[in-house]
Amino acid sequence: MATATLGTGGPTLQASERQMVLPTNLLTGIVLAAVGYYVGVQIGNGFGFNDGLNTGVLLGYTFGSVMFLVGVGFANYPLARLFGWPIAPQSAGDEYRGAWRFLNLSLDHKVIGIQYLVAMLMAMFFGGIGAMLIRTNLLSPDQLVVPPDKYLVLVSMHSVMMIFVASAAIVGPFGNFFVPYMIGTNRMAFPRLEALSFWLVPPAIVILLAAPLFGGFPTGWTGYAPLSEQAGQGFDSYIVGFALIGTALCVSGVNMLTTVISLRAPGMTWTRLPIFVWGVFSASILGTFAAPILASAVIMQGFDRSMNTSFFISSNGGSPYLWENLFWFFGHPEVYIFILPAFGIVMELIPHFARKPLWGYRTAVVGLLGVTLLSWFVWQHHLFVSGIAPALRPFYMFSTEMISIPTGIVFLVAFGTLWRAKISMTVPMLFCLGFLFNFLIGGLSGVFLSDVPSDVTLHGSYFSMAHFHFTIVGGEIFAIVAAIYYWFPKMTGRMLNMTLGKIHFWWMMIAFNLAFMPLFAAGILDMPRRVSTYAPSLQGLNDWVSFWAYLLFASMLLFAVNVIWSWFFNPKVAPADPWHVRSIEWTLPTPLPRRNFERIPTFTSGPYDYGNPSPRPAADLGSEPAPA
Amino acid sequence: MTGPTRTHALRLLIAWAVLSVVGVLLALQLRLPPGDQSQQSIDESGLLQLMTVISTPVFIGVVLFVLYSVVVFRQKRGALEDGPPSYGNFRVQVAWVAITAVIVLILAGIGIGELAGRANGTNFASSNQPSLATTGSVGTTEANALQIQVIAQQWYFTYRYPDYAGVESLHLMLPVNANVVIHVTSTDILHSWWAYELGVKADANPGVDNITYLTTLRTGSFTVRCAELCGIWHGNMVDTNGAVVSQADFATWVADLQKSSANVTLPPYSQYYFPSPRVKGT
Amino acid sequence: MFAVVVSGGTNRGTPARLIVLVLTIGVVAALLALFIGDFVVRGPESLTASPATVAQGNTPAQNAFVHLEVVGSVAAAITFPRPDDPHPTWVSYLPTTILKVPANSTVTMQIDQEDTPSGLRNPFWSQAFGIEGGTFHMTYFDDQGAPQQGDFSSIPDAATAAHTFAIPDLGVFVPLEGVNAAAPAGSMNVITFSFKTGKAGLYHWQCFVPCGSGTIYGNGGPMQTLGYMAGFLIVQ
Repeated sequence: MATATLGTGGPTLQASERQMVLPTNLLTGIVLAAVGYYVGVQIGNGFGFNDGLNTGVLLGYTFGSVMFLVGVGFANYPLARLFGWPIAPQSAGDEYRGAWRFLNLSLDHKVIGIQYLVAMLMAMFFGGIGAMLIRTNLLSPDQLVVPPDKYLVLVSMHSVMMIFVASAAIVGPFGNFFVPYMIGTNRMAFPRLEALSFWLVPPAIVILLAAPLFGGFPTGWTGYAPLSEQAGQGFDSYIVGFALIGTALCVSGVNMLTTVISLRAPGMTWTRLPIFVWGVFSASILGTFAAPILASAVIMQGFDRSMNTSFFISSNGGSPYLWENLFWFFGHPEVYIFILPAFGIVMELIPHFARKPLWGYRTAVVGLLGVTLLSWFVWQHHLFVSGIAPALRPFYMFSTEMISIPTGIVFLVAFGTLWRAKISMTVPMLFCLGFLFNFLIGGLSGVFLSDVPSDVTLHGSYFSMAHFHFTIVGGEIFAIVAAIYYWFPKMTGRMLNMTLGKIHFWWMMIAFNLAFMPLFAAGILDMPRRVSTYAPSLQGLNDWVSFWAYLLFASMLLFAVNVIWSWFFNPKVAPADPWHVRSIEWTLPTPLPRRNFERIPTFTSGPYDYGNPSPRPAADLGSEPAPA
Repeated sequence: MTGPTRTHALRLLIAWAVLSVVGVLLALQLRLPPGDQSQQSIDESGLLQLMTVISTPVFIGVVLFVLYSVVVFRQKRGALEDGPPSYGNFRVQVAWVAITAVIVLILAGIGIGELAGRANGTNFASSNQPSLATTGSVGTTEANALQIQVIAQQWYFTYRYPDYAGVESLHLMLPVNANVVIHVTSTDILHSWWAYELGVKADANPGVDNITYLTTLRTGSFTVRCAELCGIWHGNMVDTNGAVVSQADFATWVADLQKSSANVTLPPYSQYYFPSPRVKGT
Repeated sequence: MFAVVVSGGTNRGTPARLIVLVLTIGVVAALLALFIGDFVVRGPESLTASPATVAQGNTPAQNAFVHLEVVGSVAAAITFPRPDDPHPTWVSYLPTTILKVPANSTVTMQIDQEDTPSGLRNPFWSQAFGIEGGTFHMTYFDDQGAPQQGDFSSIPDAATAAHTFAIPDLGVFVPLEGVNAAAPAGSMNVITFSFKTGKAGLYHWQCFVPCGSGTIYGNGGPMQTLGYMAGFLIVQ
């Protein structure tokens, strides 16, 4: 990997600019994390709270994470300001060359995008392994492949890992990488916050993966108290992991919002903003304001477990409803953090491959912002049978059903764009169309769940589980895969193999639908979620599901092979504009220069002006556009 | 392939209408659970079917449109032509939003009507007191509804009958054709009491009396499950021995239960039982 | 130039990359093995019921006998010591909680109950259900510390229960009286009862006394870990 020809294209940095304040890198980060963990455990256990030693683990994780960030280099800048040391104008990571810089702190949004992409794909792999173990256990209602206590740990690990992935897997890799290009800027508004939003993720994943070493936690991703308070030290992983991810979401959201609001190039008006940027923008609004609620709620759980407070313990004056409400007040905007950027990707890609302007652009923006607004008013539909005041239920039922209006707009925009278009059935387009089909099923099943009387039967059953897998896997993951096929040449300089891509699409589409469609039936036929055993009459159905789930996983392995082979072993450099589309990132050469733009471009038209009689350039780049 | 817009639209519309009629007729043949053992399950089956019927044309429309588009509006092989530069049609957009809004309003109207017309679902607090109807048929009117308390504990549901001196039972027996008020509470953590065939589900919270209503219509057994993750034996928290029985059988059964419970001292009936204070340490 | 691994159009680096790839796959596979192994490795050993030595009334086709011990902390076990247990302070059934019994037979259980009372949260469980004859035999100590014995269908005071032995799917619920404080040190209550097993299958069994001290409501830790207060009855 040392053969990268880096730093030859852009201007070289002065030696003094690369001066580092402290010699920090990933290794110092890991060493300091270990030291921090040890110190935290000692201090926590030294307090003497008789609490099953949760204080030690909580403080250990917290100190370890903070010290990891210090070791990676986040303290350099503040310390330099504090002590009047020379301040490095560029990141410490720019000193490194080759693959090593992807393992270190970098303030380059392109490096951070790649870091996010790799971290998310690896986390998704572990989550997928968890899903395979779950399906293996459900092959039979009365064979103990995974004992029931470990089964719950497994379900929890799978769910929390996938929530981590889903909440950052679009805004992280593609938002960080392409939003600066799309709006015509060389960097994000707050590059250090951008780097921080990434470097909070690896500690969160490592801490989560450490949970089984402490016995794991049996609560699923909802972490409902008081069950969570019965769990051992494994649950401390949930607390610190979600606190870190919540901080990352908030930090990333603030950065994205500021960047999009204040760093748009001349001519990049709000109505010329690519729809993908709008998707990221609306998700960032939700991330900024919803994630702090999660972070504070999990800290309250931490207090309950370590300091003997009773926020969620009814016998001591607390209330489990408090957790349910705090959690879902974050949790429902959270699911739109998953799906809004996915809408953005689908609406971005469809015009390019239909070679037609995005139909109803302003309506699409209204749709995205409408979902953003409405998502704050629906969270109690998760609590319809929990015993909430009955007078509240009609309101939440209505607001939940209202969300199908802005969501319907997304479909309308896709339809309008496809109508009389010139559609190229490329692999990214196939995944976008797959998204439309899967998300349609996910959305329609959501209506079944939104109505209170029908929700009484479906709530907490496999029906709701199938519903959110259709929206997240069939929706968001399909959009992510589409985005990877589409942007991979620009990000890595290599095309993915499109024949394998077509096989991957049909394989994944068929396996996904055949695996998850029967789960709607399982839910209607009386199978609750998160059970390690079930009615023997449902065994045939579960075996069918497991079979297709294995095939779904195999299709993702095929995808992984495609990615690894194309990235590292395919010598052919991708053309600068393999898709022949108008979006600005494709007018830049491949591989991308170190600096995005030598001169900040002036935008003279929108990104989707296909079929215009006198096609203007997408942007004035200040020089001859790269040859296609 | 590409003719005038009107031709495409007409083709699509006819295909959609034909397929939707077929689809709706098929959807009407469905008999969806939970069944007809109680008024609530009849309502829910009906509602699930109604939603299936409403969803079918939507589903068919979207799939048909996308399939038609990708088949008919294809880029020629090797060509790189642009489509027509249409940026939107205000009328179509307004019509689309209006139609989805109307569907949503209809759905919400049906749902709210269901909620308002019947005390269906859960209730946070209620002044319902036990009817103390210890003789004759119970639950024939709303006023003398049979009161049941579901006590959830890790990992079993037990049932108290406050109308019958608060006796407690391992399984739930209900008389047929009776109005039942179910009080769900928990002695430890969250559970969710789900009587599948009866179409009722209510979360069990410690320190909370969560109320749900039931009108039994047909005798037969039913399955009770836990629908809220509650720890290691969550999946095993199943009881298939509950049953709706005739009024006479119920009277016999409850009399037997009272007799066999003579040697156990239960705490006085209460809306909820606060679990013992938090145990920590040691 | 910005690109992740750009070799400038030659294959020069391929062998090196192949080695890195193989090493990476090796590391990931090792991590995966750890991850998967953590979930699928079976915990406690299983105990097969011995052929019955205690005949109970009408002898059915098959009889089986299971002897268990229940202790307040694993380290205090008398009959079945379990050295090197990771949780020596936990309350537990011993020697194991995975029990194998024959199908369609009568299983006689003898439980040596050595724990002190902790009390039932729901006094309903002080009754016994689903056992042969409706009663269990118990030797115990009265308030004066004198040994007593008798047949019971319930224990008189829910507050003196130490544990219960319950197989909900078979309808078997038996309260286990705690050892009276007046009893001499090292004494145990011996509870004997029989129940019928039905068709083959996997049945879970548990305790209804919130005895997992140190966790909220007493239902965490040992109550939710196989091998302590949670187990399976494998009917085969």
